Amino acid sequence: MNTTDLFYLLPIGCSVGGAILCLIPIPWFERIVSLIASITAFLSAIYILVFLPTMTNSYVYIDGLSKLVLFTVALVYVSTVLYSLTYLKHIKNPLFKTRLYYLLLNVFASTMFFSVSMDNIGLIWVGIEATTVSSALLVATENNNATIESAWRYVIIVSTGLVISLIATTFIYGSSGTLSISQLMIYHPVNRVFLIGILLAIIGFGTKAGIFPMHTWLPDVHGKAPAPVSAIFSGVLLPVALYAMARVIQIYPSPVVTTFALTLGVLTVVVAALMMTVQENYKRMFAYSSMENMGMILIGFSLGQGGLLGAVIIIIAHGLAKSAVFFFTGDVLSTYGSTSMGDVKGLLGRLPRTAGGLFMGAMAVTGAPPFPVFIGELFIFAELIRQYGWGIAATVMLFLAIAFISVNFKVGKMIFTGGKLYPKEKAHKATWVPIVNLSLSLLSLFFIPYFEQFLHKFLIP
Amino acid sequence: MNYIFEIIGFILIVLTLLMQWEVYVTNIILLFSLSTVFVSTFLVLLGFSRPEGNYLLFVLAGLTLTIRGIVIPVIMSRALHRLYDKPWRVREDKPMMGVGGSILVSLVLIVLGYYIYQNSLYEVLKIRSGAVPFALFMQASLLIISRRHAYIQMIGFLVMENAVVMLSGWVFSGLPFVVEAGAILDLLGLVVVSSLIIRVREQAIMEEGESYESELRG
Repeated sequence: MNTTDLFYLLPIGCSVGGAILCLIPIPWFERIVSLIASITAFLSAIYILVFLPTMTNSYVYIDGLSKLVLFTVALVYVSTVLYSLTYLKHIKNPLFKTRLYYLLLNVFASTMFFSVSMDNIGLIWVGIEATTVSSALLVATENNNATIESAWRYVIIVSTGLVISLIATTFIYGSSGTLSISQLMIYHPVNRVFLIGILLAIIGFGTKAGIFPMHTWLPDVHGKAPAPVSAIFSGVLLPVALYAMARVIQIYPSPVVTTFALTLGVLTVVVAALMMTVQENYKRMFAYSSMENMGMILIGFSLGQGGLLGAVIIIIAHGLAKSAVFFFTGDVLSTYGSTSMGDVKGLLGRLPRTAGGLFMGAMAVTGAPPFPVFIGELFIFAELIRQYGWGIAATVMLFLAIAFISVNFKVGKMIFTGGKLYPKEKAHKATWVPIVNLSLSLLSLFFIPYFEQFLHKFLIP
Repeated sequence: MNYIFEIIGFILIVLTLLMQWEVYVTNIILLFSLSTVFVSTFLVLLGFSRPEGNYLLFVLAGLTLTIRGIVIPVIMSRALHRLYDKPWRVREDKPMMGVGGSILVSLVLIVLGYYIYQNSLYEVLKIRSGAVPFALFMQASLLIISRRHAYIQMIGFLVMENAVVMLSGWVFSGLPFVVEAGAILDLLGLVVVSSLIIRVREQAIMEEGESYESELRG
């Protein structure tokens, strides 16, 4: 590895550096350090995206897809740190000191950067498992019985699911003699052991991505974690796990593998849409909305070409918009003190800026035009219809419509009913953070041609 | 050498069956520690059976013994001591199924693991006793599903990881050292973090008499 190659590891270095400096016990130091670490990680991600070419050596593999995911992770990381600066004071009885919260947040970001930069499926597994280690305590920050229970469910379900992908890794290595993604993309064996390895990897990594049938931890965690943690989970942790699935599919895009991934993607959309209709907790509802979007992304990855482009558009646009939505839910929770939709009335009158943002955010994540999620879904549907005809596409469209109506109807009720119940309150200090994220999500629409350039090698039929 | 591996595999299955049978948490931790000693022995023997590049397997055996066999059980035991006045009397009070039932299901899973292996992978791998890690994996899954106590569920997860080590070494040629070492470090981190979470969780259960799963519904 030469000196230039080290630039590719800058996002990891910045966040790890931030985590180490958080150990210094000076008041507010951990916040300043985390902010600097996240901003430098973000700037280095932009540098990699714009100026550095695709790179592969025996450990690191950074191509267009990794660059775009790195950039999204870095952007959501900065916004999470910014939002946490003011949000944490709303947590009355935290499980640990603020310093530890920021330390874990920085480590968590570094494990995600690590996962999307590695050329080795085994090391990607190590990185994704490390995201569980670093984020489990973040889930339990609020230190009440329900959050502790959700953190425990998260640890045991996700870790058990990830053991399946570790088994998959042994199958892949045992049959091919290498775990290098770049090498496996060029040559891989065609036998039953390798195929089983690929399929198990899809199931295993799917656990972390909230893909059916191993998704059960996701609504529990999103429903109980503090808003910034839910935001970073939904915005980028799930796509990082999907990134691993995308790599596995790219290695061996045989009909069995792609059909298997497509089936899981469709089932994920169906289950998430149905579950959304019965939710009474707004954070859980948005968790199922994330699951639905992950299902769409998986469908896109399984289709390749235009579908892959659509999936990447959704990763970026959804990452920004959904993190914004969860930040807004933080404003709502800290004002109303409840996550039950029944308790939230008159949001428009009480917190107009949050209400407007939440309304736009809900539209953005459910794929209302002209938000980029809608464009991404169009790309995926075009490819789905081209490869499989109208049958599956119409089914998925139906369930997307159910999800769209569920989310927007319920959010509309929270915002527009009970008009004069509460007087108008001063907007939360950090409400500008989700507004910026939401605006960036919308603006990403104009960068779609550039995304296409980054993914060029995968888009050629 | 394959004959010795089969004996070790058989011992591991018996130890996991004993875990199913046992209700006291400290005894289950001890059984896990013992089973890890056998996994380390397996790795050492595997190192001797390989003509070259086997020194990493000895390092891996050392790491496995130290971290999985000693450090992790010690962390869990200490956490138990902090949480309970009489940790040796902590037991699974509300298992999902009785001891007899879980042993029976466990035996069925061993047969099922063997059947799945014979009909899917044996034709390709041609290793007669390759079904052992699969059977171990299924038993570990049962331990997680059938018990409510978080420490026992954690042990179930650790047994699963041991099964993967067996699988990668026995059936295939093992994983690269950097991946195995990363997995062990992840495991250590997970146990440390889980111990904290479990302590708070079990404390709440002791005070209230039940877990808070129902509060997660929405």
